[in-house]
Order: sequence, then C-alpha cells, then structure tokens
Amino acid sequence: MVGVPAGGGSTALRGDGHSASRLASSEISEEEVDLDLARREEILSAAAHASAWTHWEALGLPWNASAEAARAAYLEKVKRFHPDRFAGRRLGSYREKLERIFRRITEAKDVLADEGRRAAYARETAAPETRAQLEARRIEDERRTGERRARLARQNPIVGRAARVQELVARAKQAMSEGRFGEASNDLQLALGIDPQHPDVARLAPEARRRACAQRAERLVAEGAAAELAGRAGAALAAYREALEAEPGNVRAAAAGARAALAAGDVPAARALADAAVRAGPRTAHAHEALGMVLDAQGARKEARRALERALELEPGLTSAKERLKKLRWSFLA
Amino acid sequence: MSDLEPVVGIDLGTTNSVVATVQDGVPRVIPSRTGQPLTPSVVAVAKNGRLLVGALAKRQAITNPEGTVFAAKRLIGRRWGSQEIEDARKVLPYALVPGPEGNDVRVQLGDRVVSIPELSALVLAELRADAEAFLGRPVRRAVVTVPAYFNDGQRQATKDAGRIAGLEVLRIINEPTSAALAYGFGRQVQGKVVVFDLGGGTFDVSVLDIGASVYDVVAVGGDTYLGGEDFDRRVMDWLTFGFAKEHRGVDLRQDKMALQRVRDAAERTKCELSSAPSAAIHLPFLLGGGEGKPALHLDRQLTREGLEELTKDLVDRCVAVAERTLKDAGVRPAQVGEVILVGGMTRMPRVQRAVREFFGREPCKGVHPDEVVALGAAIQAHALTRPGQGAEVLLLDVTPQNLGLLLVGGYFQTVIPKNTTVPTSQTHLFTTVQDDQTSVRIAVLQGESERAIENELLGEFVLEKIRPARRGEVSIEVSFEISADGIVGVSARDVATGQRQSITVTATSGLTEEELRRILDEQLDEQLQRKQSTREIEERRRSVARMVEEIEALVPAARAALDRTRFGGDAVRKAEAVLARARSAMASRDVDALAAEAEPLERTLALFQGLAAGGQPPGGR
Repeated sequence: MVGVPAGGGSTALRGDGHSASRLASSEISEEEVDLDLARREEILSAAAHASAWTHWEALGLPWNASAEAARAAYLEKVKRFHPDRFAGRRLGSYREKLERIFRRITEAKDVLADEGRRAAYARETAAPETRAQLEARRIEDERRTGERRARLARQNPIVGRAARVQELVARAKQAMSEGRFGEASNDLQLALGIDPQHPDVARLAPEARRRACAQRAERLVAEGAAAELAGRAGAALAAYREALEAEPGNVRAAAAGARAALAAGDVPAARALADAAVRAGPRTAHAHEALGMVLDAQGARKEARRALERALELEPGLTSAKERLKKLRWSFLA
Repeated sequence: MSDLEPVVGIDLGTTNSVVATVQDGVPRVIPSRTGQPLTPSVVAVAKNGRLLVGALAKRQAITNPEGTVFAAKRLIGRRWGSQEIEDARKVLPYALVPGPEGNDVRVQLGDRVVSIPELSALVLAELRADAEAFLGRPVRRAVVTVPAYFNDGQRQATKDAGRIAGLEVLRIINEPTSAALAYGFGRQVQGKVVVFDLGGGTFDVSVLDIGASVYDVVAVGGDTYLGGEDFDRRVMDWLTFGFAKEHRGVDLRQDKMALQRVRDAAERTKCELSSAPSAAIHLPFLLGGGEGKPALHLDRQLTREGLEELTKDLVDRCVAVAERTLKDAGVRPAQVGEVILVGGMTRMPRVQRAVREFFGREPCKGVHPDEVVALGAAIQAHALTRPGQGAEVLLLDVTPQNLGLLLVGGYFQTVIPKNTTVPTSQTHLFTTVQDDQTSVRIAVLQGESERAIENELLGEFVLEKIRPARRGEVSIEVSFEISADGIVGVSARDVATGQRQSITVTATSGLTEEELRRILDEQLDEQLQRKQSTREIEERRRSVARMVEEIEALVPAARAALDRTRFGGDAVRKAEAVLARARSAMASRDVDALAAEAEPLERTLALFQGLAAGGQPPGGR
C-alpha cells in the first residue's frame, strides 16, 4: 500500500472542448465528479457566460459600484469559484471551468478595485445620457477642486504666498503674450517683492520692465506728436520729456522734443535735448537735423551747416533739412 | 481513512528547516526526534561513509568541511555558469561540478556526485521521519514553502526534492504568504499587510491585501541571493583580512578546517550582537604552527556598530527592494496596516530600525520569525486536504517575475507580467515565417530585463510537424499557464485544424525525468525496508482482527454467562474497552499499538472462551 506517490496533481479527466452554453441536464450529470447538482449548474452557467460578461457582471455588481464593493464582491466570488475550495474532490472538466471563471473575476477585480481604472471603466461603460452627465459632473468637480485649493491658499500664509506668486507669474505671462507689458511688469515687480528667489520672476521681470518702458515711451511720443500738430508746443515738449524719462535712449523723443522746445522758444532746453538725441542715435538723421536747427537758432551757422549736412548724408531724402541747408549756404536767401 | 491521514507544512530553509502540522485545529511545530524545533539544513557524508542529516551533520562540519553541504537552497534550480554559482564556487568548501547535461549544478561528496534536489530531499526525508515519529503515522503529503522570488526552475527542483523524499507535494507556496497566513490565524485581519522576510539565503517582500479570510497577494519582490549567509560572509572576510594583516599575509582561506571554524564563529558573533553591544571572538590554535613555529590564535572584538558598518549596503539593498515592491503594489508606506518580520536575520537591530524608518511604524512582534513560515504551510496543507473544515482560508498568490518569450533580435516579450494572480494562463499566436516551414523553436524565459539574455531561460521547445503551407498561413496558438504552485506549463494548438501539439519544457536546470526515476529506483532498498514494516503491520493487524472477531462472536454467550454471576457488567465493560482500543490501533496502522493490544486481547479471548464453555469464570482475573 505504501508506494511512491505520483508527483503533481491528480487531474484525470480533461475537458473535451464541448460547449457549456447548451445546458442539458444529461450533460450536467454525465460526468462523475464530487460536486452536487446545484454547484455543477452554477459552475457550468458561469463558465458559459464568463467571456461575455462586463466587469460589473463578472462580480455581480450594478454599474458604477464602488471600489470597496468590488473588492468585497470579489472575495465572495472567489470563495465560491476558486479551485482550491474544492481541493481533494474529483473535479474532472470542472477544474478547467473553475480556473476560467476565477481568471475572469480576477481580471474584473483588477480593474474595478483600482479607483482610477474603475472610474475610467465606469465612464466607458456608461449609458450615453449618463456619460454626458458624468462629464458635466467631472468638469464641475475640477472647478470645485480649484476653488478649494484657492480657499486653502488664502488660509495658509506659506501656501498662500507661493500660490500668489504663481498666480502673478501666470497673469504676467498672459499679459506679455498679449503685449500689455506695463501690467506684466507691475505683476512681476509684486512677485519679486514676495519671493525674490523665484527663478521665473527673476528671469522675466527685467525683460518685462524694459519692454513696458519702451511701450510707454512709444505712446508718449505719439501723444507729443499729436500735441505738436495741434500747435500746443508746451504740451508736446512735456510729453516728449516724459517719454525720454521712461526710455532714456529714445532718439525720436529727444529729437522731436528739441524741435518742440525750439517752437516754444526755449533754446537752451532745445540744445540739451538735441545733444541727447545725437548722443543716443549718432546714426539717426532726425537727431542731426534737430541739432542743426537748434544750432541755427543759436546763430552758430557753421556748426548748424555741418549738422544738417550729416543729416542729409544719413538720409538724403530729408526735404526739411535740405531746405534749411540751402538757406544756410546761401545767406542771401534768408 | 484518507481524512485521518496527517498532512504537514515544511519550511525548507537555507540554514534551518521546520516542519509543522495542524492538530485539533491549531497549527504547531513538530520537534525533531531530539526535541529541537529547528533542523539545520545540512547534509554530510562522514569520514566512515555514513550519511548524516540535520544537527548531526552540522555538528561535524568543522572537522569535515569538504564532506558537509550547507546552504544547498542557494544552489537549487540554478544554472551551471550563472553568476550566483560562480560566486558560490569561490567561497564554498565543498566542490561543485556541472551535471551530465552541463546545465545544472551537482555536488561532489566523496566519490559520489549528488544533485541538489537529492540533498534537499534528504533534509525533507529527515523532517518527514520526525513528523512520522511525532504523529505515530505515515506522512505522505506536504506543502513545501519557497521564497516568493524563486523562479520556475527553482520551484520545479524543490518539487522534485519532495518527490525524492517520498512526499506528494500538495502545493508549493511562497514563504512570505505562508507567514501572513500564520500571522492571520486566530486574528481578525483586514487591510494591507507587508511581510519582510530576510532569511538565511534569500530576501523577500510581499504586499498582501487580507480580507474575509482571503489572502490576496498584491505584489512580491526580492533577491534570491541576499540573506544571513551574506552577513556571515562580511564578518568572515573581516576576520580573515584582519588575521592576514596581523600575521603577515597568512591566508586562512587556504585551510578549510580553519575557515569552517571562522564561519561558525562569524555566525555566532552576528547572532550575539543582536542582543549584546559587543562580542568577542576567540579561536585558539586556529592555524597549527608546525616545524617549530608557534600556533596562531585569533582573538578579536566586534561591536554592534562595527557589524552594522560591515553590512550597511546589505541593509540598504533590502530597503531598496521593499521600496520597489511597494511601488509595484501601488501602496504607500503609510497605508500599510501591519509589517510582519520573518526570518532569523530580522532579529538584527539594524534591520528592525531600517524597517521602522521606512514604514514609519513598529513592526509586528507577535510571530516567531523562525517558525511562522512552517506554521502557515501547515495551515495551507490543512485547508487543501480538508475543505470546508476549520479555518476557511484561501490564498491568492502571484507570479514573482515576468514570463515571456525570446523574440528575433534578442528581445524579451512578456506574455504573463509579474504580480499576476495565479493560477493564470495566456495564449499567444505564432505564425510561420517561411514557406513550408515545419517547425518553430520557442524559448521561454522568466525575468525582469528587456533583454532576453539577462533573463533566466526556463526551457526551449520545438513545435514540430507543422503542416506545410505558405508562410503566414499557419497560425499556432501557444498557451502558457502558471499553476497555483507558480510552475509554468506550455501547450500548443494549430488554430486552423485544432490539432494539439504536445510539448514539454525541459528545464535547463535540475533533474531530467529519467534521472528522477533512477533516483527513485535507487531508493528501492529503503522502500523494501519500509515494505517489510508494512508486512509486519499487516500480519499483526490480521491476528488482532481475528481475535476481535472471535471475541465479538462470544460476547452474547459470555454476557449470558456473566449475568448469572456477581462479576456482572464490570468484566464486559473491560472487554469492550479492550475491543475499542484494538479497533483504533487497527485503523491507525500503528505497529506498537497493535503489539500492545495483542496481550489484553488474548486474555479477554481466553476469559470469554472459558465463560462460554464452562459457564463459570475462571477464578482470579
């Protein structure tokens, strides 16, 4: 009686591949196994439907059941269908069926007990109208999450400061992309005040400031030109001066300012502005022309001629300079 | 009768092995015949040629280093030429040789070459004998544990070992899972549990989700070559280098006996340092001087900090593995409900501290680190043989490594990813790539690398007799399945014709079927001996049965006779007790019990015969 036990399992009968979907009572009882009839029926019907099940059906759950419910249902199912539950009994072809069912419910559990995968699967398997509702709810949830984060930020000083910097930087970037450099620069200066070490802020702030100044100067020059046209030389001069303050190297502002000062009769101021214009733009015709005009007004004819000649050299089509030079060369024309 | 037959759980460890069973619904460790709970996993061939196993083998290791095999588990199922084997050859005092196919590893013991499963089988047989002595009945079925990270070859080899030892291995289960099972016994456990198992030779981490008596393994990770032996080696190296420094380059490793003493001392010191802040190592006369030179002694002191410094990177490796496994499981350390420490090495304070720091909680101290694995195996064995009785536990274990195929270009394609719940199966379609191709060669691998060459080759098989057709027209469906033991099986089917192909994956490491059969044949002597004892049982049983029958036939007459005397019921009651004892002895097939019952039976029979014949009981009982 004591012999060498054979290794491995003791599966004797293998499934002959008959389909279990056609359940005849004769089929249920035809094989000799240690399972009662109800059990056999349960296993056969589950095995027949296993491949067609949704994950919800596999675990016997309603659509969108929770991950905890999925886990609990899995534990219950596993106790009914795991082959180890029938250890020591003759199972015949039922062993293979049990293993198939077990694999199917495990697959379903792997999806449904994982919160992320479960939610994705729930969206996928939802009825169309439910899906639309879900999508709306998801967007609403995202908005709420944003709000909650903002509320939290307001309450916590450290989180708040970090959030504020983040917000300012985001706003500044947006403004810069839309060409509103003044606003961007303001925001970045504020951010720099809160967190001087922030890498984005340190990189962006000087750039924004430079461009904001240029933009302001541009606007003031345009204002000055308008005032000049309207004959308000004083207002024009003030605008040009302000533009020059915003952007000290703005040649156009300096040259136009010199002309406006001249028109207002303030010759020394005109001279200072004209000199500044030439310094800032030694290769700008307008600057040299303005200097020439101022020098002419001061009575320095020779220097005035040289300046105007230089202006024409740089831009031969400058008619006003040409006229003035003609007058200077031929004094009798004056 | 089959449900009376005992089943056991065996923890076949690297350094020590334990056997346990479930008695009256409670798992308990079976002590060895000398009363020890742990049996050293050591096998030796003594100088006089006698085979020694367990404590006896360990005791003589110092004087017989070449003939003593320890830590065989680190070699089981490994390929000859693998990195682990190359490392082992450098440090082991016994000789390793390649198997006949050049694939697996054998041990040279005296003039015999022994396979690793045979060595493990000797330990298993010893445990089986202990269990039979303890239970008083033959033990034929067992659940054997392996490290979770063992691959198919290692599991198969362990199963072979069980077969050689005459045991039907009901199931191979993973040690950490087994530990969790024992931990959960008698407790209401719910939630995530991590088992941190640092044993003699292997390190395992398992993450389980336990609920409603279902033990669902979520992820396993480990290192099959990291354990207490490595800690011992560090201490040994420290001792040998220090010794060389002190005595101008004397290399202890040249003297195997001295090295064995150092090995022993290293292990002892390591254990001592778990409870004491420092330990002294005295090994007098370690190297005999000879030729007028004085003998050399070793005398050193090691502190706990010193040991921690020597083994720092080993502990770091454990933590890294734990971190990776938790990530695989998608579990944060803070979500873990309990951490169970298993394996003797987890007694080291530095290891406990690392666990505490990583998980941010105190590890569970409620289980015995050496015995818990065997207890869990016993619970599983019980559950597998007596379904519907007692503890309704169910284990859902996973595959430790990716299972896949070799693709053109040396790439590895995963078919069944790691941490898939077993039993599982997966099918894969192959098509022919040449016209009239008649065979396909398929290599099955296990491992985690994308490059096939870095993974373990489980086996190769050739699909043959493919019907001739144009390329791509024949598709063959190959299904891979992993059993609840974690052992891989492969089958193939021609999709168009439905014809099945029989294929066998011949393991590249371990024993072939013929060899296994030869080994089993060689055990015939022992088998015969056992048959002899069976014959003895049968004879005694027959004689006892005959007497019982005769007595039973005489009972009515005896009772009638006794009714007339004052001796009355007392004698009948006594006779019935004797009968009951005789019947139970027959059922349990216990030789001693049968022998013991023979005499009172004979007396009862004589008494009854007298009563039935003479009507008067003979005087004086």
